[in-house]
Amino acid sequence: MNLISASPENSKSTRRLVWTALLVTIVIGLAVVVIPIWIIQPFKPQSQRGLEVSYALRRISPYLTIIASLGVVMLTAWLWRGSRWFLKVILVILALPLFAATWMARQNHFEWMFKPHANLAYAPAHEAAYVDDGDVVLAVQNHGEAVAYPVRLMAYHHLVQDVVGGTPIVATY
Amino acid sequence: MWESVVNGQQLHFHLAGINNQNFIMRDEETGSWWQQVSGEAILGPLKGQKLRSVFHDEVTFGLWKKEQQQGRVLKPDPTVPAKSYPPANWDERMSQVPVNIAQNLDKTLPPRTLVVGITVGTASKAYPFETLVKQSPIIDDVSGVPIVLMVGRDGKSVRGFQRILEGRKLEFFAKKDSQELVLLDAETGSEWDFTGKAISGPLAGRQLKTVPVLKDYWFDWKNYHPTTFVYEL
Repeated sequence: MNLISASPENSKSTRRLVWTALLVTIVIGLAVVVIPIWIIQPFKPQSQRGLEVSYALRRISPYLTIIASLGVVMLTAWLWRGSRWFLKVILVILALPLFAATWMARQNHFEWMFKPHANLAYAPAHEAAYVDDGDVVLAVQNHGEAVAYPVRLMAYHHLVQDVVGGTPIVATY
Repeated sequence: MWESVVNGQQLHFHLAGINNQNFIMRDEETGSWWQQVSGEAILGPLKGQKLRSVFHDEVTFGLWKKEQQQGRVLKPDPTVPAKSYPPANWDERMSQVPVNIAQNLDKTLPPRTLVVGITVGTASKAYPFETLVKQSPIIDDVSGVPIVLMVGRDGKSVRGFQRILEGRKLEFFAKKDSQELVLLDAETGSEWDFTGKAISGPLAGRQLKTVPVLKDYWFDWKNYHPTTFVYEL
């Protein structure tokens, strides 16, 4: 029948279409993760526009990468049958960076570089032998309570949350 | 240093990025991005809101310990390798790092010059830290408010005060040969300590009002205080 005789042609163009969809999906999934990382590099300048784009992408990338991953799994499954072995290898290699990006979209790599203080604890002033007298501290005082945050520690963690004299604060450096 | 409650909501902050060499924090509750140095939300649902600033000092531990014997001190995180913490002279080492920002660099001072910045009313002024160390105390007027800035004998601790008491301006100079920094006011000869309190003389017991000071690099201060003045001899 007509349908059967046309089938190899159709199938070929459909496969091409699915391949294209696969590649586009992967590129989008990677881009939404890579672009904000690229823009917000520590020793590079940032424009207001660049920050806006980064913010928007960081917000949507956890959802978008999941959708892209599911799409790629379905498209790959569709392409799998009838693909030669080397094409199957290529399909797997193409999908891996997207899965990595999907995971990365849920990470905060700035907190890999500077881990948040996971064990907040304080020493009485006269027992804090780990601070030299000549070291600078950020000192805060509120309602009779005084706290010192050594600059050495703050230059690494950058922010520490605390309650001082009943007021919740975030110490930043 | 900021209050972490905004519109009655307690926020929990994370380091979330960097904007022209000043870090951005993100709050878990709304996902907004906040600029560390200004305490202002720059993106997200809370954009335009400002965190309320909390008065704080940058002083040496030795000085603080004497003043706050009942105080508590943040401990290092035992899960962070000791070598991850930078050396104590971090800000001096950072002064070797080039500045690469989107804004035009102001040529008044080299970008990494450490300055002590103050804001009084709507006016801001920056004092190069080296100048301040040499001249401490500096008496000045910023937008009509008489202030005094000083650096302790340790060469690191910085404090600022309004040098006015019941409408009366005071002129300060450092007492010679005292071990700790002691100021004398020219009007009454009273002695003042580093906390801005008169410890002897006719004004003994009186307290000057503090002025918040921020130690920062010139480029960053200028970035967030574009109309700032700069102290000159």
